[in-house]
Order: sequence, then C-alpha cells, then structure tokens
Amino acid sequence: MLDIAFAKAALPESGALVLPLAEEDMGGALIAEWDRLLGGHVTRGVAAAEFKGRKGQSATLLAPGGGLSRLVLVGLGKREALDAAAAEAAGGNAAAALGRESVASIDARAIGGWAGAPADIALGAVLRAWRFDRYRTKEKPEDKPRLGGIKVLCEDPSAAKAEWAPRRAVAEGVFLARELVSEPANILNPPEFADRLRKLEKLGVEVEVFGQKDLEKLGFGAMLCVSQGSAQPPRMVVMRWNGTDQKKKDSKPIAFIGKGVTFDTGGISIKPAGGMEDMKWDMAGAGTVSGLMAALAGRKAKVDVVGIVGLVENMPSGTATRPGDVVTSYSGQTIEVINTDAEGRLVLADVLSYCKKRFDPAFMVNLATLTGAIIVSLGHEHAGLFSNDDGLARRIEEAGKAVGELAWRMPLGEAYDRAIKSDIADMRNVGAGRAGGSITAAQFLQRFVEGCPWAHLDIAGTAWSSKDQPTVPKGATAWGVRLLDRLVAEHHEGRQATPEPEPAEEEVAAVTGAGSASPAVLSEGTPATEPLLPAPDTGAGPAGEPAPVPLPTRRPATRRPRR
Amino acid sequence: MLKFRLLDRPRGLHPVAVPVRPGAPLPAPLAAAASAAGFEAARGEALRLDGVEERTVWLVGVAPGPQGMEAAGALAAASMAEAVEGGHGPRHGAIDARGLSPEDAAALAMGAGMRAHRLPHYGAEPPPALRQLDLLVDSVEAAEPGLARARALLRAVGFARDLAAEPGNILTPPAFAGRLEVLSELGVEVSVHGRGWLERHGYGGLLAVGRGSAFPPRLVTLRWPGHGRRYREAPPVVFVGKGITFDTGGISIKPAAGMEAMKADMAGAAACAGAILSLALRDSPAAVTAVLAIAENATGADSYRPGDVLRTASGLQVEVVDTDAEGRLVLADALHHARGLRPRAILDLATLTGSIVTALGHQRAGLFGNDEGLRDAVMAAGEAVGEPLWPMPIGARHREDLASDIADLRHCLPPGGLGPGWAGRFLPDACHAAAFLREFAAPDEGERIPWAHLDIAGMDLREEGKEAGPYPLPPGPSGYGVRLLDRLVADRFEA
Repeated sequence: MLDIAFAKAALPESGALVLPLAEEDMGGALIAEWDRLLGGHVTRGVAAAEFKGRKGQSATLLAPGGGLSRLVLVGLGKREALDAAAAEAAGGNAAAALGRESVASIDARAIGGWAGAPADIALGAVLRAWRFDRYRTKEKPEDKPRLGGIKVLCEDPSAAKAEWAPRRAVAEGVFLARELVSEPANILNPPEFADRLRKLEKLGVEVEVFGQKDLEKLGFGAMLCVSQGSAQPPRMVVMRWNGTDQKKKDSKPIAFIGKGVTFDTGGISIKPAGGMEDMKWDMAGAGTVSGLMAALAGRKAKVDVVGIVGLVENMPSGTATRPGDVVTSYSGQTIEVINTDAEGRLVLADVLSYCKKRFDPAFMVNLATLTGAIIVSLGHEHAGLFSNDDGLARRIEEAGKAVGELAWRMPLGEAYDRAIKSDIADMRNVGAGRAGGSITAAQFLQRFVEGCPWAHLDIAGTAWSSKDQPTVPKGATAWGVRLLDRLVAEHHEGRQATPEPEPAEEEVAAVTGAGSASPAVLSEGTPATEPLLPAPDTGAGPAGEPAPVPLPTRRPATRRPRR
Repeated sequence: MLKFRLLDRPRGLHPVAVPVRPGAPLPAPLAAAASAAGFEAARGEALRLDGVEERTVWLVGVAPGPQGMEAAGALAAASMAEAVEGGHGPRHGAIDARGLSPEDAAALAMGAGMRAHRLPHYGAEPPPALRQLDLLVDSVEAAEPGLARARALLRAVGFARDLAAEPGNILTPPAFAGRLEVLSELGVEVSVHGRGWLERHGYGGLLAVGRGSAFPPRLVTLRWPGHGRRYREAPPVVFVGKGITFDTGGISIKPAAGMEAMKADMAGAAACAGAILSLALRDSPAAVTAVLAIAENATGADSYRPGDVLRTASGLQVEVVDTDAEGRLVLADALHHARGLRPRAILDLATLTGSIVTALGHQRAGLFGNDEGLRDAVMAAGEAVGEPLWPMPIGARHREDLASDIADLRHCLPPGGLGPGWAGRFLPDACHAAAFLREFAAPDEGERIPWAHLDIAGMDLREEGKEAGPYPLPPGPSGYGVRLLDRLVADRFEA
C-alpha cells in the first residue's frame, strides 16, 4: 500500500504536486496561491491546456518551477456535485497520472464540506495504485511503478489522519480480496486459501477450518459432489469477528457467505476453452467475504459478524459428479444435478443452511460469481441483487451507491421457482433453457435459507474488470468489500458512519521518503506500522500455529444491530 | 370471438361452470362429490361432475391472488372448450356467477374470453370452438357495464393477437397498414406514410431495415383525439410500436430453427394498435397517438449491411453492427417522430432482444426509461392486469459501450465486444438497446419528455410448456401490452 501522510499546505521541495480543481476554482484563490509559489506557471498551464476543471479532465504541467517535477491538474466537475465518490475518483485519477514519480503531494483543499475529504482522496489514490506483481520476475526496475507514498495537503492534518485509519483498514481488506482473486488456481487451491485465511487471526478474527472428513460428517452432500472430481480437497472456513460486548451465545450476528470455486472447469459439463482462464476468479465471492472480514476486524468494527466461505475446485475426472446424479444436501433436500457447471449454487446451498442452523443470524448475504446470465441482464456496472427482504435490499442498494459499487434488484417469484422442479428429486440445479437463468439460480439458493432474511449478490459481471476505472485498476475489483463494509457501518454499528478512529500515531503510515531527495517535506508522518496483513509469502508459520489473538478494543456501551 | 349472454337464471342444458372460492360452501350434492374427489379450490383446479345435476357441472377453483377470478374464468372456458375442440360436446356453455360481484362476473368473462379466442386459421375446416357463454348473474342490469368493458378489451386484445398470428407472407408491411384502416370507423385518424414520404423526411433507419424486402416499409400513426376541450388541447400520450412483419435477421441472418416465430416480431406495434382500439371502443377522454414503424427485415440484394452508416431521422449517424438488431433502428425513427408530436409521455413496446429473455424469462417484460413516476405507473398497471414487468437499468457504461469509430454511435456490440475472456462472451444487449433508444427518445438536448421502453421479447408469444402470464392459455400470441396500456391511460392520463 502507498504510504499516506497528511500535512498543512506548503510547497513540496521536489516530486509531483496534484491539484484537484472544481470548475468554480478556475481563476480562484487556490490557483493564485500556487501561482505565487510557482511564478505564474499554473495559470499559464491552465490556459494552454484548456483545463476547465471538468469531471474526469486532467492535465500535466512538466517542471512547473519551485523544484517540482510535475504538476497534475485533476478536474472535479461542479462543486455542488462533489461527494466522497468524486473525491476518491480524483485521488484515483491522480495516482494514475503520476507516471514515474516516486513521491507526490495532493492539495486536497479544493475538496471539502465533509471531514473525511482528504482521507477520501487518499483512499482513491491507494486503491488505484494497487498492483499484483508477485509473478513478474524479470521486470526491469525502471518499468516498475515507483510511487511509494502520497502526502495529502489539507487544513487539518490530524483530523484527516483520524479519518484515514478506518479507510486504511478497508483498503487492506480490498487488497486481500484482490490478491486472492488474482492468484492463479494452481497456487490458490482450497487448502492454500484456507491457510491464508488463518492469518486473519492476527487481527482478532476466529478462524475455523473444516476439511473433507468434517464436511462428510456434517453431511455436506451438495458441496462435496462438486469437489469430488478434483485432487484438491474441499475446505469450509468459518470466520468470526466479535466486535461487541455481547456474549457469544447471546449474540445474533450478521452473516456473509462466499462462493469459493478456486477453479471452475465446469466439471463433466465442461466449459468451452476460450476464456476459461478467467475461471480462476470463480472464488471472488469467497475472496470478497475474506476481504470484508479483514476490513471489519482491521477497523475494529463494533459488530458481531460471521463470514463463511465454501472452497472447492470443480474438475472433470473419473470421480466427478455426472449430470443426472442426485445428491442430498446438508438441509436434507435432494438435488438432481442437471449441469455440473452450475456448481456454485451447490456449494452455497450447504453453506447457507449450515450458517442458518448454527448461527441463526439476523441476516445472511451471499456473494457469488454465479451466472453468465447476470452479465447478459445487467452488464458490468451493476451486480444482480436478489433478496427476500425489501429493507435489506434497499440498504444494500444505498450502501452500494455511496461507495460506487452498484447493485440492481432483480425479481424472485414462485413462477420462477417452478422452473427448477425435478421429476426425481426435490429440485434440479438449473432451469430448462436459458430464460431467467440468474433468477432461477437465486430461487435455488432461496430454498436453503429457511426464512432467514437474505440477499444474494451475483457478481459475475463485477468481480473482474477488463479496463481501468478511477479507483479500480484492471483485473480483480474486490467488488462488495466496500459496499458491505458500508452496510455494516451504516446500519449495524449504531449511528456513526465510521467508528471512532484509533489514536493517530498508531495507524498512520508515513511517506518513507525512499527514492526521494527531500525527507524534509515528508516529516509530517510517523514511521509506518506493520502492514495489517502479512503477505502470504513472508514466511508465516504453519497453518496450525497457535496465533495470539489480540482482543478487539472493548468499549463499555454496545449497540445491538438495528434493523 | 366468444359471444356472451347475461342471464339471471339458466336456460338450456349446456354445461355450467361453478366458480368455487376456497372455503366457500357448496350445495349438498356438489359438496359431497367435491369432497369425494378431493377437490381443492385454492389450487385453481377444475372438477367435472356428471349426473349430479341434469347437466354437466364443472367446479372451478378460484386460486387466491389478484388474477384468481379471471384465471377461474379461463379455466372454465378451457374445461368446456377441451370437449368442443375434441369434436364432441356442445359449443355453448355457462358460468354461474350468481352470488358474485359484478366485477367478479366481468373477470370471469374476461378470462373465458381470453381462453376461448380463436386465432386465424387458413385450413379448409377450422377446428370447432366454444361459441357462446351464458353468464348467470343476480342482476343483469348491474353486470352489463362490466361485461361491456370486458367485451371491448377482449376485442382489442384479440385484434392484437390476430395480427401477431398472421404469417409474414400475408401480413406484409402494406397489408399491416391496410388492416389498421378499420380503426378509422371508430373515430381514429389513421395516417400511412410510404417510402416516398420516409425518403423526403430522412427516416433512414426505417428505410434501411425495409430495403431488402419486396414490400416497402410504412410509418403509420393512429390518432385517437380524446374528447372534451381540456383533452383536445392537452398534448397526447404517444405509444410507439416495433412492427417487423417478418425478421429474417437480414444479412446477419438468423439460424433456421425457430425462425417461423419471427412472424410475431411486430407484436409491439400490434399491442399499440390494440390499445388504441380499446381506447376508442370505450371512448376514452384522453388523447393518445400510436406511431408504428412497420417493415420487413429481409435478406435481399439491396439489404443494408453490417458496417453501413445510416443517417436517422433525428440526424444522428448510426453505425450498423448486426442487421438482426433492426428493431432499435426502426424505433429510433419512430421515437423521433413521436417527439415531434410534443407528447406528455412516450411509451414504446418492442420484441427487442433475446437478452431480456435471459434476464427475466417469460414471466416479466423489461422496463427501461427516464422517468420514475412513469415507471412506477407502468409497473402498477402491469401488476393490475397480470402483465408484469421489471425495471432494468441504463447505466453510464451501457452508453459508453455504444461509441463508434466512424459515426455518432453504433446500435449494438459484436460478439465479444466487451473484451476477451469468459465474461466477454456475454453482452447486456437489452441494456445496450435501451441506451441506444434513449438517444432518440430522450436526447440530452431538447425538451425532456417522460419515456418508458418495454422490451416484451419474452412475453409476446406463449410457448407450449413455457409459462407466460398469470394463468395458462393456449400457445400463440398473447396480446401482451394491450391491457397494460389501456389500464395505464385510464389510471394516469384520464384523471
């Protein structure tokens, strides 16, 4: 992660300066102030580049004076439309425009009106600057991105630092999800996935791993019929974050469930070869739930949460499930497997009913790259949202709008449910034909929630991006981590949108100044703390290693989740 | 068409259907028989009883739900019609609506009429059909207005269903326009614009699609003026319908299997025409105009090609990617024409995309638009008449995806057009189509007019074994949209 520091505005001695400007700022005091320091370069550059401050517009002025290497102007659009999403986009666009710079400052003073504005810019920059380069071994140093840190110039650096702490934790969660989703399937198989989740124990998350024998004993017939064709054994990982004072047995947690098919060949109903490599990200639902747990624990959210992921690999082989096979799910309902490539719902079926039975949660939200049909329905801008609870659905839609992860409600209904009737079992795993394919999948899942308030997010169109977006580089998006974090913050932690920030010294990272000739300008920050999540290749101990579980900060008052 | 007769006591000995609400008591002999057969009204099932009375009695369950009574009427007609269609049994039946409200009696008639409607048949001996139904009511006078309303709607829906059922060689674009002339007898102003007019006015989308066919395209407007000073001066509501009398796909030709269903690719236009007929029959005070874009998308030596750039009526230049996405091209011109009428709202209906069927199946039509109030009203009207929809998005990305290298925009994306990989195989074509139409129905510049786009591709035909609609009806054109539009006008534009 980029190191982030906050400081009062002053001319940086070197590096780049980013100047986000609203349309109303053109010819205003902010430009005049920088002009005084830079000998009029800003006004000349604005005129020459025809920069008007329009949303998405940017311009780069090289060697603008004052020892700076470049000045990047980023348009914010109209001031009245400025919000957190616009600030994040500006931060993201700034990070993308910084090129080979190693150190940069962003003047956040044009964005205001709410306390977190400088931190929102920082979040946008950090999210955009993420890169997955574990397997690039021959990349020349000059081709690697060099940006190591960003200093955000603002009116009140200490307030900004406090706002940054929870955002930083969310960014860590996003990165965990992106990393898991980016990993190839020969590396990230179900046991490896489970091992990586054990590392969340360091954040105070309780992690329970279920192996093949455990799942057999539980009777997970639906989930196991998916994994039985693979040489890789399945895993179910139960993660619990107890952020309230509630005793565990009295607690009514909220639950998040993820589909984790580490690779999906389709099984005997094998997929066409073209594009199959993308099926390494058929575990994005599980990746998102993992990232969400890291985010909530990282910011010590005052909420009791259960996150469960069902991890399997779907392979064709002599032991694989055949079309026509009938399996008995954990719930006791029988399923005729018509298409072995509709495997995600089989995994989720068992995990959903297990979660309901064991935890009786206030609600369950599951995420899954479930159907291609949802892309045909909605494209790549909205995930499909199915729910048996209008209030929950509305809260998810609103949280999504707030963080720029959009969900679109899709219908459920008895007429759709009839499409999965089977002649031989309680249900088939697909409807006949392609009509309403995402809806019939959701109907299938609904048969396993047993009346629990529930929402299903079909993220097949949003989990992976084929092009760069302002705060999401091409590739794994971690769609859902931020939405669900926001959902929890808005509705399940009492009134505050974000918890009280940690003392600034603890969490705020500094620009290290590596590669920079001017440590002086970077003195605002304090030494960086350890990253919240150790990278998986940094030699953490064996999976079974008893990790000390730091207790989350207890606070005297506890609010029950509001519904 | 099924004939109805209102009676306050049975006449003759033809079979009678008795609607049974769950929990409602039955006369003793019927109750004993129903109990012996394990009859359950709530399941919406029918039970035939012979010998209990002099005549055959059908017990017809009224399932709970808003369309329960109408479904029971359909079930009654179906029960009696099965015998008729098998070549035995009288062509005359009765439904006993005594003890029910006039609304319920009308709903029973509506359902029976929907089920008993006979589509055009070109054989020497059309199969026999149920001809007449007596509706037994407590008061003939009280039931008359509701039945009149049901008759008008049934005629309007039947008009649309018949048009959609006509084969492509019979219902060519000029023939379709000709069939609409009958509406003028009811006070509808019918204007038909032919190729010359379209060329003079630059309707390049409609002309291009119709170019490959031996039968030239038509733009038809059906103007129901409404009545009363207030309404005459009010701007009209405009319906816009896609009327592709047969869709081969053009140069981007469709696969052969199932292509015969493409004779119904004018169901949107037929529904608009049916709705105008309904408004005229019930003398609606609201001014409503239908704009129908009628063409045949044929494969011919002069067909338009993928890669062609068309200048549409609005002036926008459109790059053609796939000639089988022709509906949005003819609608582009029709929507532009509609805007020229300075309407208070525009609603377009089109069997537009396969994508909407993948999204919503055969249970709901897709609803797009630019106005929440209109959207909610359309949703409510659809629910009320058993023609449900679901709102769908037009996202910023959907519009961006339509960027063209050579023109103002392209009308759809090629396969794989959203990038490589697994996800690139899937295109949100219904959303793309709606984003395309928005450029013509609600352009950024110009007056903002509330607009709704109904993608009815999954709803125009009832297929064997595939559900569509709240209760079973025989396979064939459904007339989807007629009742919805009629209801929408009544609820929103007549008040």
